[in-house]
Amino acid sequence: MSSRERITKTMLWALVGVLAVVTVARFTRGLGAVTNLSDAAPWGLWIAFDVMAGVALAAGGFTLAAAVYIFRLERYRRFTRPAILTAFLGYVAVAVGLLYDLGLPWHIWHPLIYPQPHSVLFEVAMCVMLYLTVLALEFSPVMLEHPWFDRPGFRTAHRLLKRATIPLVIAGIMLSTLHQSSLGSLFLITPYRLHPLWYSPIIWVLFLVSAVGVGLMMVTLESYFSAWLFGHRLPREELAGLGGAASVVLLLYAGLRLGDLAWRHALGPALALSPAAALFWFELALSALVPGVLLAVPAVRRSRRGLGLSALMAVLGVIGYRFDVSIVAFARPAGAAYVPTWMELAVSAGIVSGALLVFIFFVEHLCVYPEAHAAPAPARAPRLDPFGVRPILPEALAAPRRYSLALVAGAAAALGFLPGAGALTGRPTPVPVSPVRMVEGAITTVGAASGHRFALVQTAALSGAETRRVWLMVIDGNRDGRLVVFPHDLHEQALGGDGSCVTCHHANLPFQRDTACAACHRDMYSHTDIFDHDAHTAALGGNAGCVRCHVNRDGPKTRATAIPCVDCHAGMELAGSRVRPELRLSGDAVGYVDAMHGLCVGCHEQRVKEEPAKHPADFARCRNCHRDVDGGALERLAPYRSVHGAAAGVRLGG
Amino acid sequence: MHAWLEWARGPAFVFCFSFMLLGLVRHVGVTIWEIRRTLRRAGDRSLPLTAIVKATLTWLLPADRLRREPLFTATSILFHVAILVVPIFLAGHIALWARAVGVSWPAIPNALADVLTILAVVTAAGLIAQRLAARATRALSKPQDHAILILLALPFVTGFLVMHPGLNPFDYESVLFVHVMSGNLIFLLMPLTKLTHAALLPGTQVVAEIGWHWPKDSGSRVGAALGKEEEPV
Repeated sequence: MSSRERITKTMLWALVGVLAVVTVARFTRGLGAVTNLSDAAPWGLWIAFDVMAGVALAAGGFTLAAAVYIFRLERYRRFTRPAILTAFLGYVAVAVGLLYDLGLPWHIWHPLIYPQPHSVLFEVAMCVMLYLTVLALEFSPVMLEHPWFDRPGFRTAHRLLKRATIPLVIAGIMLSTLHQSSLGSLFLITPYRLHPLWYSPIIWVLFLVSAVGVGLMMVTLESYFSAWLFGHRLPREELAGLGGAASVVLLLYAGLRLGDLAWRHALGPALALSPAAALFWFELALSALVPGVLLAVPAVRRSRRGLGLSALMAVLGVIGYRFDVSIVAFARPAGAAYVPTWMELAVSAGIVSGALLVFIFFVEHLCVYPEAHAAPAPARAPRLDPFGVRPILPEALAAPRRYSLALVAGAAAALGFLPGAGALTGRPTPVPVSPVRMVEGAITTVGAASGHRFALVQTAALSGAETRRVWLMVIDGNRDGRLVVFPHDLHEQALGGDGSCVTCHHANLPFQRDTACAACHRDMYSHTDIFDHDAHTAALGGNAGCVRCHVNRDGPKTRATAIPCVDCHAGMELAGSRVRPELRLSGDAVGYVDAMHGLCVGCHEQRVKEEPAKHPADFARCRNCHRDVDGGALERLAPYRSVHGAAAGVRLGG
Repeated sequence: MHAWLEWARGPAFVFCFSFMLLGLVRHVGVTIWEIRRTLRRAGDRSLPLTAIVKATLTWLLPADRLRREPLFTATSILFHVAILVVPIFLAGHIALWARAVGVSWPAIPNALADVLTILAVVTAAGLIAQRLAARATRALSKPQDHAILILLALPFVTGFLVMHPGLNPFDYESVLFVHVMSGNLIFLLMPLTKLTHAALLPGTQVVAEIGWHWPKDSGSRVGAALGKEEEPV
């Protein structure tokens, strides 16, 4: 085994290790924790690369099978085995990738027994399942050639499968043409979401033709890969033939795409100076125009570098085409940009790595390249190095050690990078609290049993005898437009005037007596640590000051074992607050929502219990404060709009 | 420094600790696999389990060696006890585990931890000194052997300073960072260096035993011993 092969396999194993960890995260924490997919961007990298591009790149299997078994182009026979193996592993990768992407992956078999014959996706699902089976049957003779299968039952199966080659090839061509085009047909229902330069009524033809072209180029690249990795000879003459065929197909694809746009008088956007036009021409040039023209030149397709470069461009270009159609040129609501997470990339890379490792394993153990298999590698004289350890350990023993180490390192790195790795669990997204706004408003007292009604106004155009103008506090911490109107003055009066601040303002910044709630309760849902450890360390003289608060020598130095704040800050203790004393000075501010609910609902419940006659019936219910929840109307900060809802409130001004 | 500290005890710790766990599991797996493979090739598949367990226990508590080389054996045993007990049973460490994964276990008193920490540093220094003192061990020692002992002592020195801020002349968080990172480095090196013996110790005697199970004349008939008689050399 060459060191190049060893290094490649080590790297592939490391990527599989990363995949292993991300897989656990994906299937335990769900799609939302691992991907940037959303309702606005439901199709991401996994669909664009693993499914759309993966299926296209695997098209070499049916193309080569058709060329050799149907059209009898015998000189390409040497490519059929690697091409079919690539197609088989490619489709397995598609199926595996789909399992990651589906919200309910255990329903993947549902199309079989719950068919929806009007759905294009149903057709794709059935074709991919059937073609995967056909590919497995097409490739299994290669497996059954292995000496391990040299047993009566397997010999019979081998004979039967060999005899079934032509029917299998025909089935494979039919199924492939069907679903290669259907993947494009999926986008026929999105004429208004797909950019006009990519949308086409014949997008299914474009998908099929580009897949045939890129399939041939993929077989070419794969020969280069094998030559690079295993030191196989590059069959230049045959590859040049494939290149010539690919040139025709790629140019046909480019012609169809441009001709369709021109025919529909839709070429205008392509000639404009816009990012979309630039992307369109870049993608088309990379996928078809440049490689198609280059490969039409015999000297280029016969040169090692020219052919390899053209194949690489075509493959990258067609992957780009699939990406553009499923992600880039697909309209999403403004602000709903989709950028894959590293975990999505890791899954795609890991699946490809796993498929490559299986490919390498099959090439090492089976006759995938008949001409290379027939001529065994020249025996090399063993190098004896009496001072090293390596030569003592045979490769068969040393390799599992190296690869398993790569696997372990990859998995550990992925664990370190998982979001929330520090806590070993997920952390909530921070939702900072915006301060309350004081808004000019009006208040109407309906009566003791019915409570008050409020309105938010902008102008002085107010009338009505029982209506007073007041300042209202609008509480909307996360600024989502759903708000609570809080009559601060009314509360002050009800709680006893000027001395009552402490009822709610249970802890204040120095020299204040009405520090705002959001000063400490800084996140809507998460706790905030309002204790400034650094400031205390500096004030108490660095390391020597630790023992001033952490007086307990036995046990960990935590907040729970430190002395209470009031031991030094006596003025912080406020008597008469509704907030329970053990919560008052802990340095741990609960989420804004919890703080508001805890204070307001607790007090309201107590009031309605103690003096039921003086308060409305729903005084301690949600809708007493959240007046936009029940009424049906979503009151916003719109001028002259009754906060209480049109049915119950007074309309002021308008 | 605060951000570095968060990184060291967040992602860096998770990476190093999981690398240690997975790496040690891998070592055990590879060892079991190779023991199986060797036994299959060796022909003689019987394993004297009683003798193996006895030998392992004897090496864990080497009463015989304690009589013959009392100083070195005692230093080594005390060193191992100290470096195993303190990190696992320190109250502060348990509080971190409880916060991260919600699992906790009984702690040792901080005073005992202090004693064991000093013991760990002293015995580490003693082990290095004894390695250097005798000509035989000095010749056998590689730089790795000294470096690992110093690395093992580092978190104990810094940990003691962190636990006693009054005695710490340096910045608290910087010392804590060195403490965490030296611990991380030990975790990282565990599956890669001779520290692997933390996990492979129970199998050592099995491997040693199997050495005697090879076919007769394996030394001169390597092909037969490895089961590769037909392969060209």
